[in-house]
Amino acid sequence: MSTLPNKGEPITTTPSSPASKRRPILWVRNRWVLVGLVVAFAVLFPWLVDRPRFWIPNIGIRTLWLGTIAMSLVFLNKYVGLLSLAQVTFAGIAAYGVGYFSVTLGLPYLLSIPIGILIGTLAGFLVALIAVRTKAIYFLMITLAIGQVFFSYASQAIEVTGARRGLSPILREDYGFVDFRTLEVFYYAALLAVVLLYLLCHYLANTSFGFALQGIRDSPDRMAALGYRVNRYRVAAVTFAAFVASVGGMILVFDRSQVDPDVVSLGSTLDVLIAAVVGGVGSLGGVFLGAVVLALLDNFAQDFTERYQTLTGVIFIVVLLFAPAGLAGVGGQVTRAIRKRRDRAAPPPPEHQEPQAPVPAESAIQKGNQQ
Amino acid sequence: MDQFLLVALNGLTLGSIYFLVASGLTLIFGLMRVITMAHGTSYLLGGYIGYSIARASGNWLLGALGAAVAVGLLGLFIHQVLIRRFQDDDLRVALITLGVSLIGTDLMFAAFGGTATQVPIPAEWQTALTLPSGDRYPAIRLIILVLAVVIGVVMWLVINRTRAGSIVRAGVDDSAMTSATGVNVRVVFAVVFVVGSALAAFAGVVGGSLFPLLPGQDGTYLLFSLVVVIVGGMGSIPGAAIGAALVGLVSQFGLVFAPTYATVLTFALMVFVLAFRPQGILGRAV
Repeated sequence: MSTLPNKGEPITTTPSSPASKRRPILWVRNRWVLVGLVVAFAVLFPWLVDRPRFWIPNIGIRTLWLGTIAMSLVFLNKYVGLLSLAQVTFAGIAAYGVGYFSVTLGLPYLLSIPIGILIGTLAGFLVALIAVRTKAIYFLMITLAIGQVFFSYASQAIEVTGARRGLSPILREDYGFVDFRTLEVFYYAALLAVVLLYLLCHYLANTSFGFALQGIRDSPDRMAALGYRVNRYRVAAVTFAAFVASVGGMILVFDRSQVDPDVVSLGSTLDVLIAAVVGGVGSLGGVFLGAVVLALLDNFAQDFTERYQTLTGVIFIVVLLFAPAGLAGVGGQVTRAIRKRRDRAAPPPPEHQEPQAPVPAESAIQKGNQQ
Repeated sequence: MDQFLLVALNGLTLGSIYFLVASGLTLIFGLMRVITMAHGTSYLLGGYIGYSIARASGNWLLGALGAAVAVGLLGLFIHQVLIRRFQDDDLRVALITLGVSLIGTDLMFAAFGGTATQVPIPAEWQTALTLPSGDRYPAIRLIILVLAVVIGVVMWLVINRTRAGSIVRAGVDDSAMTSATGVNVRVVFAVVFVVGSALAAFAGVVGGSLFPLLPGQDGTYLLFSLVVVIVGGMGSIPGAAIGAALVGLVSQFGLVFAPTYATVLTFALMVFVLAFRPQGILGRAV
């Protein structure tokens, strides 16, 4: 990425990262402390639960792949201003890649995993070539439709994808020095991959490439006038996000031990979107919180209600209505509300002149400033 | 019968249903610049309500009207409670309505079950008519085709030739300026949303008379209407008509010549159009 020309001054984007300006050092330190705490919890997780056989796969590993795919969605939304509903499709294509090369062609997993990731990333590149021609709401619709193309292809092309039955078995193996068949080993390997991906996303956002992306999100015209090839940057970002999603797809496929059209169905697309929105579309790490909530709902909601999906939908809408920055933003919202109340208590300001403009950083969805 | 003619007619009748669903969507999008992802839910719910009323009363038309009114009222509720406050945030509206469709899918499954149901049609429609070419073709399909054409023409006339239509068009171009001339744009928005939802419900009754109603069709019809408006161009009624006819024809001919990949072909059409005209066939540049 460092080979990209860095023309002009580095772009400083204000709307999405004002906090770093206001409280520079403290804020950064707080964030890494928080990340450290979350990772520490994730590491200790298998020993904290009463039934590891149940909790590790159903909550832990599911959270990891759901969160990874949702993180790729959030990366695109936060830094490029594009809301893609095809992320689970890229993950699914990568998973089908592993299935096809290992189950159908009999290649070892050590070969088919990189091939799968490559295919998923390539799919992201091809989709990006078409989709970046459209903006904002159109981009959402195109990616949704393309995702459904692949779903209908996957459920019909029996010679490639095995149609409804899918491809199986895709089993974890024992490599002597590591035995991926044990749940703990698989969980920690997945956790390591996820942490590395998170750091990579974070690192990339702070390179000149990442700044250019944010500049394009905020003002594509100005960036084009500065000599940036706006669409090439968007294609690169979508391709990278597809790579992240593809790695999530690897965790997914070895968790399920098979790949079938359900992986890329509309329901899975919505799951990823819900995890992202509930966790917080403005926060790369917050999505894992959303993924945990969804995994917990998935496993426990049926104990007290038959209408699990209705409950999920209600939570989704309530979050969108009242906590647009997701659960990760609730803390900030509460602090702001308290501060506002305190300010109001000191000098009584005229009620009707309260500015109603929403704080940009609070907005759930980065639209970008795309005409 | 000549296979080509038969497939073409099937494609056009399928396109008629797509047009009825998509015209509501394109109307809502054209005016409000928001996409309602609950549009497929309106379609399926309309179909189910029409089915219940038509079965209880034995009157198809009553079922269609009842479905349109009921879903229109539901649309009014959704618009007032969930959408109006976030009018300017189109992606948020899309996500909120996606949540609505999630709930709708689940509740409709709970209420109507997973079995296929079909809206009962009057006995006199269950015949075949003789075409000018001498072939015979099911009357119901021809009725649907005519119905779609009539509704399309009426919508076009209302939008382009009446005062109400000029208000809607003015609202599309510049809602702030329209509001400044004394038009209550909020009411216009609400009315358009209700009409769009009611059209989807009506389409559900029409579609449910031809094909069985099944859970999951809300998603399918949402996607097909998205494809239709993307191909035809957002906010344009003639565009929706062209898009719907193309999508209907491609999927029917696809079923004949490449049955496995019929759906894929339909979406390939969309990708093809986008590659050359990102705003759709009759869409204005964005």
